[in-house]
Amino acid sequence: MGFFEQIIVIIQRYYPYFLDGVKNTLIIAAMSVVLGVVFGTLMAVMRMCRIKPLRWLATAYIEFIRGTPLMVQLMFIFYGLPMVGIEFPDVSFIPNFSRFMAGIVAMSMNSCAYVAEVIRSGIQAVDEGQMEAARSIGFKYGESMRLVILPQAIKNILPALGNEFVTVIKESSIVSVIGISDLMYGTSGVIALTYRSLPCLAIAACMYFILTFLSSRLIALLEKRMKHGR
Amino acid sequence: MEGNIIIQVKNLCKNFGSLHVLNDISAEFKEKQVVSIIGPSGGGKSTFLRCLNLLEMPTSGHVIFNGTDLCSKNVDINKERQKIGMVFQHFNLFNNMNVMKNLTVAPKRINGKSQEEAEEMAITFLKRMGLEDKVSSYPSQLSGGQKQRIAIVRSLMMEPDLMLFDEPTSALDPEMIGEVLDVIKQLALDGMTMLIVTHEMRFAREVSDRILFLDGGRIDEDRSADEFFDDPHSPRLISFLQKVL
Repeated sequence: MGFFEQIIVIIQRYYPYFLDGVKNTLIIAAMSVVLGVVFGTLMAVMRMCRIKPLRWLATAYIEFIRGTPLMVQLMFIFYGLPMVGIEFPDVSFIPNFSRFMAGIVAMSMNSCAYVAEVIRSGIQAVDEGQMEAARSIGFKYGESMRLVILPQAIKNILPALGNEFVTVIKESSIVSVIGISDLMYGTSGVIALTYRSLPCLAIAACMYFILTFLSSRLIALLEKRMKHGR
Repeated sequence: MEGNIIIQVKNLCKNFGSLHVLNDISAEFKEKQVVSIIGPSGGGKSTFLRCLNLLEMPTSGHVIFNGTDLCSKNVDINKERQKIGMVFQHFNLFNNMNVMKNLTVAPKRINGKSQEEAEEMAITFLKRMGLEDKVSSYPSQLSGGQKQRIAIVRSLMMEPDLMLFDEPTSALDPEMIGEVLDVIKQLALDGMTMLIVTHEMRFAREVSDRILFLDGGRIDEDRSADEFFDDPHSPRLISFLQKVL
């Protein structure tokens, strides 16, 4: 049986494994990005605020998260937290909820640091004169931010956030090591059943590519509409 | 010149780290006076101007505007700034708003003007400048001279008591300088109180009641416009004028 025939047979027999994996991968990626954006915004605000200890805290967090492997962070959350008595609860109607939570928490903590940097650089890329003009006309700092700076910063931020989503989809494959049934985990399962690793990996790669390609197209479309709408 | 003192500067100092940009400057500016500030680059002209509305926080000294010491802690600086218009070298129109929005956002939000009131006022100003066809243009679609004239209107919309111009023509192409200077001259004729940092000597002489020469963070000469050019005292000013005239 040739390579492509093997692929077709595997897809015919085992497609639920892959589809289930895709579903979970998307859930984890989407949740992580949403939480990452929420906390990343907070972190960016902390990093730029006037209160020095908050600024240091945010900077330390961002530097530390960006300077250590996601794998280590994930293990830390999944194995480390229960050891100090912090456990994610099990919910009866969602199987493996505590594992899932550990994965999402680790991914969003990681994503949060990158998002914070995206937001900070997006805001700081807006010409300083814009803030000066707004302040000199009599607007308060917050008003100047809301009316003048953020609407301009968002145009720098959105494309980079899109990239972050694509990155998270790919990086999320790492949660399979703690037994979350994402696309990579499903693929390993099928490999164990069929002993055909290459075709299975090819299928997984294609599915990841479809996910990332579709998302980046979608984001590009959004960007275009933003430009026309000014 | 008659008139009340509108803004008074007392012993103003400004340091950037170990760099002393302004050294103990004191001066008074009267209502309806047009004062130009001239001097070599790095002399502290822009910093001086930016200290007057506290875009730069003075290291020490006082800026007293209409009787209020802007440097004191319990002053609402946002409120005071509404009465001090500022025009920048790089225009700094709000890039995310069209011309009409640029002009009306502050009067509406800060002065509580109605949409119609603010728009009517904006149209009147724009017509006077011959820019009424630009109401819905965005800053990126305007020439430098147009942007600067709109920026001047944006300040005027707040009905300021004092206008600060920070090198308003330095970023313009030569053929556009005239249209901006004409607007400023017209303002002078209308009796607006203005402080203008500029490199345009002829314009300064024509429009100003009084000219300051700022060099090394000090006011080196403070004279009426004609005396300033015809009978300069300070040796630094004499050599400066020789270079630029």
